[in-house]
Amino acid sequence: MANEPAQEYIQVTYKKPRPYRWAAGEYLSRLYRECRDNKRLMTVKCQHCNEHVWPPSKVCGRCKKPSGDNWVVVSDKGSVVQFTYTNFPMFDPHVGKYMTEEHPFATIDLDDCEIYWVAKLEEKDKDKLKPGMRVQAVWREEGRGGGLDHDILYFRTIEE
Amino acid sequence: MGNRVAIVGIGQTYHKSHRPDVSQMELVNEAVRPALADAQMNMKDIDAVFVGNMETFEGIYLPDHSMVDFSGAYMKPGFKIASGGTTGCSILEEAFHCVTAGIFDKVLVAAFEKQDSGDSTGAITAATTPAWGKGQARGAIHEFAKQALSYIKHSGATEAHAAMVRLKADKGACRNPYSHLKLGLKSIDDILSSEPLEYPLRLFDFCPQSCGACAIIIANEEETKKITNKPVWIADTICVHQEIFRAGAFCDFTGKERYSQEIAAERLYKRNGITNPRKEIDMAEVYEPSDWEEMLIYELFGLCPRNEGWKLVEKGITEIEGEWPVNPSGGVLSTNPIGATPTVRIAECVLQIRGEAGEHQVTKDVNTAFATALGGPNWTSMILLKKSV
Ligand SMILES: [Zn+2]
Repeated sequence: MANEPAQEYIQVTYKKPRPYRWAAGEYLSRLYRECRDNKRLMTVKCQHCNEHVWPPSKVCGRCKKPSGDNWVVVSDKGSVVQFTYTNFPMFDPHVGKYMTEEHPFATIDLDDCEIYWVAKLEEKDKDKLKPGMRVQAVWREEGRGGGLDHDILYFRTIEE
Repeated sequence: MGNRVAIVGIGQTYHKSHRPDVSQMELVNEAVRPALADAQMNMKDIDAVFVGNMETFEGIYLPDHSMVDFSGAYMKPGFKIASGGTTGCSILEEAFHCVTAGIFDKVLVAAFEKQDSGDSTGAITAATTPAWGKGQARGAIHEFAKQALSYIKHSGATEAHAAMVRLKADKGACRNPYSHLKLGLKSIDDILSSEPLEYPLRLFDFCPQSCGACAIIIANEEETKKITNKPVWIADTICVHQEIFRAGAFCDFTGKERYSQEIAAERLYKRNGITNPRKEIDMAEVYEPSDWEEMLIYELFGLCPRNEGWKLVEKGITEIEGEWPVNPSGGVLSTNPIGATPTVRIAECVLQIRGEAGEHQVTKDVNTAFATALGGPNWTSMILLKKSV
């Protein structure tokens, strides 16, 4: 017994990613089609409260009623409200690798619609990031349909 | 009003980032056994077993089914709840609903997370919908980085205040036998010089990933009287969802909507005739993923006016020896077994009310306390506990 080795604990490991298909449904599909085909953002304005429902949804959560079909184009320009950037490598479960090229993320107040959207910024120089900076979406040449990363590369600083 | 319900037994594991020595089931069993011992009960005395766990984090579905032998649920009814950060509170709320409604007399709640099994942040970012930023979201830390920036902007708090919150947490954790991170921090400089994590958060500003489990046994009034002479009564529970969030943020930029925490506290206080929580409640264990969030939480739960949470920290009011202690256990900043994190908050309030918290027992007498949870797209759960009703 004296020479019995220390207990070894086994951890069974799996590394395969799990593929997934997410049905966007009626309203989000409309937004994603617009992103992919026309490089623009669209959403519905609620027929009861007249607010932009974001992301577009068949039901307005505030009114708890159907939001209707008053579709409007939403600006792809806006002002940075908040920004943050990671100082450690983030694992991307979609590709099973650590992300190497880290862009800062920002909450962007899109013009004239009270939509606050989280998206990547092109500007990587941390000293150049500041709240209130003006940005505009840079659309992918070949949109994939899915909004955000699928159709928009990042938001670029603009001079106005 | 339904039956009165009390907590009659609690049990928790110690917490660590890795527990290769136990399976998920064995981990849960480590909390169930002391809870039964605490209540001086056997599994045959329990009517139903409810399990709390964010199973996408471990990547194993139906954990409540696979662990019936270890949770004690074999041949008993029960279910599992997964509601993000609120999981460990939601599960106790549902147990409370069942007992207060007379469906069961005695329920055992077992909550856990074994974060060494999978990648919790990966699960959050990958398992969310594209509309919420699948593949782009950065998980909880990203939200609380932005929350910190908002808080700095609106309140005028400085990094030093956040560091004071962190220092307070470590002081509690070092006295708590169950806590995960016991850093032995000496001054706020230790926190301010820790490495940057996600701007403006540093390593020590944010909660860890822990493996751990916590079990709580509740009973109706009649059973409670037979079981224990130190019951802690569940006076009320509340849950508020805030699913329509404009940018996946734990805050509202439009100024038109209010935080779920604020609404939950307002409703809970009103229902229980509480007009001044600083006077009528003695302490709290709150769900604070970051030190910055804790200061905002003070405000949202009505412990001070808006944008003045940092002043409570400056005056030492929320310290273990303070006038209104918050998280004497070391809080989420020290220990974070996600599915069980709010359950630990509740168990810690029970210890304080019983006066059994040992080295991290607060100085003042505790008759009334609340425990909170925060999760998902800004959901809040609260539980109000009392020594007597
Ligand atoms: Zn509406």
